Amino acid sequence: MLDKYKFAAIGILGVSVAAVSGTTLASSEASDYPSGNIKALVAAGAGGGTDNFTRQVQPMLEKRLDTTVTVIDLPTASGAIAHQRTANSAPDGQTLDFSSSTLITSLAAGQNPTGLDQLTPVARMQSDVMTLIVNPDKYKNFQEFYDYAKNNPGEVVIGGTAAASPDKMAFLGFKDASGLDMNFIPYDEEGSVSSNVLSGNIDGMFGEISSILGYMESGKMKPILVFADKRLEDFPGIPTTVEKGWDLTDGNERGVFVNADTPKETVAAIESALKDIYESDKYQDYASKVHLDYREGWMGSDAYRKELKTDLKQYKRLLNNE
Amino acid sequence: MLDGLMNGFSVVLQPMNFLILLSAVFIGFIGGALPGISGVILVVILLPVTYGMDSTTAFMLLTAIYASTVFSGLITAILYRAPGTPEAVMTSFDGYPMTQRGEAGKALGIGILSSAVGGLVGTIALIVFTPMLASIALKFSSPEFFALAVLGLTVVASLGGSLLLGLIGAMIGLFVASVGIDPMTGTLRYTFGNLNLAGGIQLIPIIVGMFAISEVLKRAQGNAPHTPIKKVKIRIFDMPVIRRIRLTLARSSILGVAIGILPGIGASTAAMVSYSEAMRWSRNPKEFGKGVPEGIAAPESANNAAAMGALVPLFALGIPGSGTTAVILGAFIMHGLQPGPSFMTNNGDLIYAVFVGLLIVNLLILAFSKPFVAVLSRMLNIPYSALGPIIIICCVVGTYSVQNSMFDVWLMLGFGVLGFLLEKINFPLVAIILGVVLGPIAESEFRRSLGMSQGDPSIFFSRPISATLLYIAITVVMLAIIVPLIKYLRKRSARLSDAH
Repeated sequence: MLDKYKFAAIGILGVSVAAVSGTTLASSEASDYPSGNIKALVAAGAGGGTDNFTRQVQPMLEKRLDTTVTVIDLPTASGAIAHQRTANSAPDGQTLDFSSSTLITSLAAGQNPTGLDQLTPVARMQSDVMTLIVNPDKYKNFQEFYDYAKNNPGEVVIGGTAAASPDKMAFLGFKDASGLDMNFIPYDEEGSVSSNVLSGNIDGMFGEISSILGYMESGKMKPILVFADKRLEDFPGIPTTVEKGWDLTDGNERGVFVNADTPKETVAAIESALKDIYESDKYQDYASKVHLDYREGWMGSDAYRKELKTDLKQYKRLLNNE
Repeated sequence: MLDGLMNGFSVVLQPMNFLILLSAVFIGFIGGALPGISGVILVVILLPVTYGMDSTTAFMLLTAIYASTVFSGLITAILYRAPGTPEAVMTSFDGYPMTQRGEAGKALGIGILSSAVGGLVGTIALIVFTPMLASIALKFSSPEFFALAVLGLTVVASLGGSLLLGLIGAMIGLFVASVGIDPMTGTLRYTFGNLNLAGGIQLIPIIVGMFAISEVLKRAQGNAPHTPIKKVKIRIFDMPVIRRIRLTLARSSILGVAIGILPGIGASTAAMVSYSEAMRWSRNPKEFGKGVPEGIAAPESANNAAAMGALVPLFALGIPGSGTTAVILGAFIMHGLQPGPSFMTNNGDLIYAVFVGLLIVNLLILAFSKPFVAVLSRMLNIPYSALGPIIIICCVVGTYSVQNSMFDVWLMLGFGVLGFLLEKINFPLVAIILGVVLGPIAESEFRRSLGMSQGDPSIFFSRPISATLLYIAITVVMLAIIVPLIKYLRKRSARLSDAH
């Protein structure tokens, strides 16, 4: 009996010693970060925008930090598992969470329990603009869409991906600002949304211009409203939410997060590596290839945190009013 | 078109390209045969490798891997009841019983032939009908998907064995599928605060557990002595068998293409629906699940045809028809190509090279699968006391690797025990899988349909395709109830008149 207790006591002692030395090690070694291999968790599915982003950054990060970076896709539960694993990882900056704005939208909706008190935003690297996209056979421009929705309350159906996604938040924000009575249908995949818009089964969808360029060229889809304060340089013909008089801007963003207990110096080290990557020709080349260069993508750790907090507040309010 | 094809041949048959195609087939073979490693993963891993290549070569490589993984899932499904990919689950229902009867060679031969036929039919449909098929695919929206899923579920009524057990099985499947985030509202269902359950129960742990693990457990009891199979002789062109399965092959290949072109519905569903249809059209539906050639021919031709069909909306509209094609879509963008309605006209050379590549891959499957399969089947010589643990290790590693989750491994082992116990009472496991795969489609598409119609249920019957499918489903269910009832009444009246 005594032996058992002794054993347990030694065990606990051992674990706590290891834990303490682990944390001291981490903080003392912040200067020579990283001390081992890096895990890059992708809070989204293989082949999607966030996964592509991570896999682009991976070799550049390996070169700059002189270590191995392993990419792991964790798409389930809207990426909540990736956030939780990052929050529970050793705070040494060697577990990176690559996530889109879904981190905040699913947090607001209560799907993702890992909040900004457990994760530190390191940097934002991409900022896309949300747009309202329709089938031009149905609506020629935003005015036509607006008039129809106004005169036929409850009839307009808008599609988007997932129930607690940036698309849904854009819908709620748009509904809230415009006062139009419309319905939202969440689909599992972006392909299902666009095929329903193409076939005219639904009235429109929320999405990014970058993903529908091919349809725009052939005149099958048309963005009619940009969720930004000024018109996009490449698409000066599309009106914005702000010029319509609504205080509403939105867009999907992608960035990198670490465990909130990570020492400041380590966060700064990762941030500067990411900034270096962001400014490199190779990264900018990729960004322009996938049309993620309509807006400035970079935002440092502190500014990004501030922005996410504002977004979270706004999304919570929208969901409460729903 | 012929010009394009000839041009495609000249591109594909360049030595370097052909070599890449060969290695793609080989990589696909290995990946597909390992449980847990799916086409999606392989394509994602190889994506960065293709950045340095010219786009035509890159997409020949990716699509060839995609096509060959769908094929090779059947090998372990037939030999060890351990489906290498979700698409091959249905193949194990009849393939494995044949192996147990010592007909592994025959079963593998049917599987290889059916895969190649399905793949070729799918590729030809892809080459000839892509624009037309794509416009048909767009006619399918939520009400039609719902009707299709319902029709698929009704096959429970024609399963051999107890109807009651079949219904219970489908219900278990539907329940398992409802765990996780509600797709429409985002509410958490049956997760008990566990984040691992929030993502829903994945198909891989269920399949690997229920089929592979439960079989090892059963064999471990030692009731069925393992007779090491000395030599597996694979016969691909076996005329009597071909004569028997040719109708099934034709029907399932066409069905596979038809289901494959629908966005969001993939090869697993195609295999399942065509297995059910093969059973429905068969004169001896009760024999299914005991090792009939049709039971292998139907899912294998359908899943390979569907895999090719899933490329139709991708090329014609820029809409991915399945998980792997979604990754390929991402790869197009990374290569600076613009998927969309004018993709085919703008990139004719690339598309035709890919088409020709796929044709050749399906022929290579016929030619090269034999030696590859022979190596895997040589493992049947190993005594089961050693083979069983090897299978379990592969299952654990494979399941873990899907999303680096120990939770999935425990889940898989749990489903293994459940499958083992259920099979003791001859429970139809296929009914559970039907529920798991078709349940989420039926549920969310039903709710989306009502969203489209502002809550008016008549939408299901006012659209011609969904109405037709639903009427067929209703007829099937009614027949399943009425026919036994009539039989029973006749028997009773006969007994009554006897008594008089």
